[in-house]
Amino acid sequence: MQLSTRSRSIAFACSGLFVVAACGGNSSAPSANLAPPAQQILRVNTVVEPNSYDPTQETYAYEGSVGHETFEALLKPKADLSDVQAAAAKSYDVSSDGLTYTFHLQPNAKWSDGKPVTASDWVYGYQHFLNPALAAGYVDPFFDGTIAGAANYGSVDVSSASAIDSYLSGLGLSAPDATTFVIKLAHPAAYFKWVVTLWVAVPIRKDVVESAAGGTFPSTDTTKPEVWANNAKTIVGNGPFKISEIVSKDHVTMVPNNTYWGGAPKIQQLIYYFIADGNTAFSKYQTGALDIINTPVADVTVVRGDATLAKQAHLYPELTTFWMTFNTQKAPLDNADVRMAFAKSIDRNALVNDIEHGTDKAIQSFIPNGMSGYDTSDNAQAFDPTAAKALLAKAGVTASTLNKFKLLTRNSTGNKTLNQFIVNQWNTNLGLNMQLDVIDSKTVTSRIRKGNFDIYGPDGWGADYPDQQDFFDIFTSTACHNLNWGCPTLAGYDALVQKADTELNQTQRNADYLRAQKMLIDQAAVGFMYQQYEYDLIAPYANVTRTAFDDEYTPGDQNYQSAYITAH
Amino acid sequence: MAVIAGRPNRGALLPPRFSAVTESRAGSLAIFVTRRALWMIPVVFFVILITFFLMHLAPGSPWDRGGGRQLSQVVVNNLNIKYGLNKPEYQQFLLYLWNVGHFDFGLSYQYEGKTVTSLIGEGFPYTATLGVLAFLIIVPVGVGLGVLAALRQNTRTDYITMGFATVAASFPNFVVGALMVVVFSVLMAKWTQHAFFLPAADFGIDDHLIMPVITLSLLPIAYTARITRASTLDTIRQDYIRTAWAKGLSERMIVVRHVLKNSLMPVVTTLGPTFAFLVTGSLIVETVFNIPGIGRAFVTAVESRDYPMILGTTILLALVVAIANLIVDILYVFIDPRVRLT
Repeated sequence: MQLSTRSRSIAFACSGLFVVAACGGNSSAPSANLAPPAQQILRVNTVVEPNSYDPTQETYAYEGSVGHETFEALLKPKADLSDVQAAAAKSYDVSSDGLTYTFHLQPNAKWSDGKPVTASDWVYGYQHFLNPALAAGYVDPFFDGTIAGAANYGSVDVSSASAIDSYLSGLGLSAPDATTFVIKLAHPAAYFKWVVTLWVAVPIRKDVVESAAGGTFPSTDTTKPEVWANNAKTIVGNGPFKISEIVSKDHVTMVPNNTYWGGAPKIQQLIYYFIADGNTAFSKYQTGALDIINTPVADVTVVRGDATLAKQAHLYPELTTFWMTFNTQKAPLDNADVRMAFAKSIDRNALVNDIEHGTDKAIQSFIPNGMSGYDTSDNAQAFDPTAAKALLAKAGVTASTLNKFKLLTRNSTGNKTLNQFIVNQWNTNLGLNMQLDVIDSKTVTSRIRKGNFDIYGPDGWGADYPDQQDFFDIFTSTACHNLNWGCPTLAGYDALVQKADTELNQTQRNADYLRAQKMLIDQAAVGFMYQQYEYDLIAPYANVTRTAFDDEYTPGDQNYQSAYITAH
Repeated sequence: MAVIAGRPNRGALLPPRFSAVTESRAGSLAIFVTRRALWMIPVVFFVILITFFLMHLAPGSPWDRGGGRQLSQVVVNNLNIKYGLNKPEYQQFLLYLWNVGHFDFGLSYQYEGKTVTSLIGEGFPYTATLGVLAFLIIVPVGVGLGVLAALRQNTRTDYITMGFATVAASFPNFVVGALMVVVFSVLMAKWTQHAFFLPAADFGIDDHLIMPVITLSLLPIAYTARITRASTLDTIRQDYIRTAWAKGLSERMIVVRHVLKNSLMPVVTTLGPTFAFLVTGSLIVETVFNIPGIGRAFVTAVESRDYPMILGTTILLALVVAIANLIVDILYVFIDPRVRLT
C-alpha cells in the first residue's frame, strides 16, 4: 500500500490466504439486482505481470492471484481464518499420530477441458512442483520437515534423471483410488492443513504438459515442462476461472470455467491489468476504466476529501508486520539494552499518521491483528524517550559510537521517507546524529544476506498462511542470514519454536509461541513498528465479498468466484 | 601509349563513362559492406565480453528478492544449476558465445520458460515505432529549421530558431519527459477538468506516442538544426551559389537544388550519432513513459540481474548502432561522388 518497492518487498511472503466464503455469495445474491451477463465484467489492477501461469512456479502474490482463480488447492481458509474448509477436497482425515493426511476429492471435479480431476493428477502436480530441477521458488513449506521423503530436496543431483525420478517416487504422495489423495508427513505438523491451501499445491495434467512439450521428456529438462503455461490455449486448470487471453505487459483475461464442480462464477470476464503506476490506475478508476485498485498513498488525502470516492474506499488489515532489524553481530547492537533504546525511541503513532496517512497501524508485537497469536499485552517496546535514554546510559554507549551507524535503506521514495522519519526520531529522542544509507534494492539484499549492515528496515513478514509457525521460524538461528538478517542470540528460542511447530495440541502451541514472542519483544530482537493495512477503492457496482484480512496485492489476491456486478 | 602526330589521345582525357563508374563503385561497395559486416563480429564479441563480466561484477544475484522473504539457499542452488550459473564464469562465457553463434540467446530469468528472443520480439515493435517516428520528425524539422535559420541569418527568425536549439540541446530527455508529463498530463488534466490531456502511461500505439516521440526527438532536432545551419551558411558563400544567383535562378531552385544538396554532407554524418542517440534515449524515454519496448526491457533486466536478457538487448542495441553507421557511410557515396569507399 505504501510505495512500490515496499509493496513488492513483502508481497512474496503474504498471500494465499484469502478466500471468500465459497458459494455463499452466489446463493444469497439478490438476483433482481444482478446486472445482465454482458455487464458481468470485473477489471482489477494487479500491478505486475505474472512471471508464470504455472501455479507451481508462481512465487509472488501478484502471480498467485491468477493461480488462485485458475486452479484450486485441496483446502481453503475459512473467512474468519479460524480454520480451513473444503475446496478441491470435500473432506480430509488426519491419522492420530498426525502423520497421514487423507484427502477425499470432490467426486465431480472437472478440468476446464471437461475431463475429470483424478487423484493421480494431484500426485503429478505435487511431483511437478517438487521436482528440484525446476527450482520452484515457493517450495520450502513442502520439503522443509513436512512431506515424507522430501527433506533431501536440496541434495538431489538435478543432472541425473534417475536421481530425480527416485526422489519424486519416494515422496509420501499416493493415490489409492481416483478420488483419494494421501500425503504422508515426515513429522507431525499441525500447520500442514494450511500449507495445502497455497496456490502452488494444485493438480497438474500430465497429458497437457507432455502434449505441449511435444512428447515425453526426462525429469532433468527444465524448459519443456513449462511450455504449456505460456499459452492461454494449453493452460488447463481445475479452478472456477480459465484464462482466455494473455496480452503480455498489459492484461490477462479470465472467463468462467463452466465445468467447475462448484458451479461457474457469475463474472463473465475477470480482467487483471498490469498497471505499475499507481496514479495512472487511480485516474483510470476515476474514469470508470477499472473497478478495483489499491489507492496510491499519495492519493489517500484526495480520496478522503472526495465524498463519492470516500464511500468506495475500504481499509483492510493485512497479516503483515514491519520492523527495524538490528545487526546484533555488531557491538554495541549485541546489547539488548541498546537495541531496546532504539525500539523505544520511535513514535509509531506519529509514523503511521504523518507518513502513511493513518492507513497502517502501530504495533509493538510480532503476530499481526487478525490471526491466532495476536497479543498486545507486552509493552516493553512502547514509545518512551526517557526510558530509552536511560537504557543507553545504562549500557554505557555514547552518541559518537552510535553516530557511525547508518540505517540501510532501499532506494525508493516510500522507504526513504519512512526511514528519514525514523532516523529523525532517533536523532531527536536519543540525541544522535545518524544518517541514512540509501542503496539500490538488489545491493541492499546482497548486503543483508552477508550481514553487511548496521540497522536495516523496514523489514517485514506477511503470512503465507495464518499459522504462527509461518512467523516464528524467521528468527531461529538456522535462518541467520537467510531471513533472520540481524541474527540475534535468543537462549532457548529455537527449541521452543521447534516444540510448538511439531506439537499437535493447539492450546499448548499457542502458549509456546506466546513465550517465543515475549523473547523477541523483551530482548528487542528487532524493533516492531507497524502492521500494514490496505486502502482499496472498489466500484459500488462490484459486489465483492471480502474477508477481513487481505494481502497487499489484494486487488487480485482474492477469490472472485462468488463476485458479481450489480445493475448500474 | 604512343602519341601519334602530336595529337593527344582524346579518349584519355575524357571522364570514364558513367556506367563504368557505377560498376566499379558497386563492386567496391559490396566489398566495403562485406568487410564492415565482418567487422561487426569482433565488435559484438567485445560488447559481449565487456557486458558479461561487468554484469557479473554488479552486486546482487538474479535470485535476490527486492525485499522481504528471500528464496532459500536450497532453491537458489537449484536455480543456479538450472541456468548454468554454478559453472565457473569463463565457462559460462564460452558457453554463451557458443550459443550466440547458434543464434540461441537463452532463457530469461524473469519470465519462466520464455526465451530472450521472444521477449525482444515482443518489445521491438514499440521501440521501432518510437524510433522511426522520431527519425521521421528529426530529419525534416531539424534540416528545415537549420536551413531557415541560415537563410535568415542574423534576423529574429535565426535567433529564435537557434535559441530554441540551444535550450533543447541543454535539457536531458528525462527532464523533458518529466516536465511534459507534469504540464500536458497532470496540470492539463487539472485545468481542463480531465477534458483534455495527454496520457502518460499505460502505453498504446495512439495518442500515447505524442509525448515520448517529442521527448526523444527534441535533442536530435536541435543538434541537426545547428549542424545544418552551419553547413548551409558555408554553402551559400560558395562561388557556384553566387553563379546561380547571377544566372537569375529562383530562390527555391537555388535552395533546393544547389544549397540543400551540398549542405547535406555534414548532416548525414550526424545521422549515425542521432540513431545511436535514439537507441540509448529509448532506455530513458521508455522508462519515463512506461513503454514496454526494448529500452525498458533492458532497464528492468539490469535491475533484476536477468543476465541473458541484459546480454541479448545489449547485442541488439550494439548491432542497431553499427548497422546505422554502416548505412550512413554508404549514403556518403550517393550524396558526394568524391567519396570513395575503401
